[in-house]
Amino acid sequence: MKLGFAAVCRSNYGELVKPTRLLLFLLLSFPNLFAADSTWVLKQSTLTYHVSHPLHQTDGVSHAARGKGVCHAGQCEFLIAVPVKSFDSGDSNRDLHMIQVTRGAEFPMVTVRTRLPESASGSATIKADLEIQFAGQTARYQQVSFEVTTQGSEKHITGTIPTTLSDFKIDPPSLLTMPVKNEIPVRVDMTWSPQ
Amino acid sequence: MILKSSTLILAVVLIFVLTTHPMHAQDSTATLSGTVTDSSGKVLPNVKVSVKSAAAGESTDTQTDSSGNFSVANLAPGDYEVSVSDTGFGSSSAKVTLSAGTPQTLNLTLTQPSEDLPNAPSSSKSAPSLEDLGFAPSESQANAKQQALLDKRTRMLKIHQRMGLITTIPLIASVVTSLNAGGKSEGTASRDLHVALGALTGDLYGITAYYAIRAPRIPGTETKGPIKFHKAMAWIHGPGMILTPILGALAFEQKNNGQKVHGWAAAHGPVAIVTAGAFGAALLSVSLKF
Repeated sequence: MKLGFAAVCRSNYGELVKPTRLLLFLLLSFPNLFAADSTWVLKQSTLTYHVSHPLHQTDGVSHAARGKGVCHAGQCEFLIAVPVKSFDSGDSNRDLHMIQVTRGAEFPMVTVRTRLPESASGSATIKADLEIQFAGQTARYQQVSFEVTTQGSEKHITGTIPTTLSDFKIDPPSLLTMPVKNEIPVRVDMTWSPQ
Repeated sequence: MILKSSTLILAVVLIFVLTTHPMHAQDSTATLSGTVTDSSGKVLPNVKVSVKSAAAGESTDTQTDSSGNFSVANLAPGDYEVSVSDTGFGSSSAKVTLSAGTPQTLNLTLTQPSEDLPNAPSSSKSAPSLEDLGFAPSESQANAKQQALLDKRTRMLKIHQRMGLITTIPLIASVVTSLNAGGKSEGTASRDLHVALGALTGDLYGITAYYAIRAPRIPGTETKGPIKFHKAMAWIHGPGMILTPILGALAFEQKNNGQKVHGWAAAHGPVAIVTAGAFGAALLSVSLKF
């Protein structure tokens, strides 16, 4: 009887354990299946473009960028946008000319899209493929390197995007008949926090 | 003779400057606008739109704004092929014939997202959109009128810049020739040359000033930086350019009458030097970084 009961218990226990073990296995092996979506928000940013001319070196700075990142199934989609007119080079005449030559009134926003694996937030360096829309054109930059440092729950990201005027079909402005250089690298300094 | 030459030089300069910056009337051109949507009717912002002339083979590229709208102006009348494409979507094209002076509307639809590239941004529904970022409509909406104003402003200021540079040539020459124009010199040739150069400087300066004064102002813009100093100098060289030839005419008459330059006329030289100095400072303030 006891043996029979034990046999029944063992049998029932085995039947119960099987699905539990399977569930545990799934939980440990595929955490993303059960991970909730997460969102990142751009808390603070400084974007700086650099223009080179034989007589002038100019930097235009904007702190007006906004950004959001949505993470789902281990992948995060980021969107950062900044108004063209928010860039300040210290000279209002130069800023107006910049808006004109980049068609900033017709295309008032610069947008940057990228997709990163969620695990990238733990790396000190990340390489991102960027899609940038500016001056009515779309340009893609492969494997742009950014440095990532963690400050509590926030991520501080810095890097330089190697943009050029020709990527966006912008005629190089000139001063005293001398045009500026084609390269206009953009330095990025961002702080992201989880929402 | 010298005055006739200076007039001829002025005419040549004007033709050169104005023909390199033509301002044509736009009655003979066409405008194409439209909206790009997906198959569900949702507007698609930031989509590339390409308008290709069937006759010339040239393309004009633009992009839809946050409302999915696009507009291309200043097109020559004729047949065009309009193509739209977006990352993750397919492409779509249509043909249209444009007529001068009659705005045309063409709406296009993009269908079915394509397979995503491994590391490139995707068009998935979980991706954030511009609307999620909370920008005010005034910051994200296109303003074609303001772009046209900016374009006109830049055209006129380019002429202003070019004319300003050209003006420095007779200005410097008239300052140099002033050394022999007055004082103890009895001959009239140097004086006549100085007068001609001064007249040419005045005419070119007037054209330079015209393009600066008439260039459109952009509402809501605060003047700051080196341009502020540049504009401030105009309050010195502007009145100086008016006063200098008046005093110069007085001095010229006195010299022709065999008199020594005296009275108000004696201020012609100092006023001219101050005027030239302010002009030079204005030019340098926007040319060099201090």
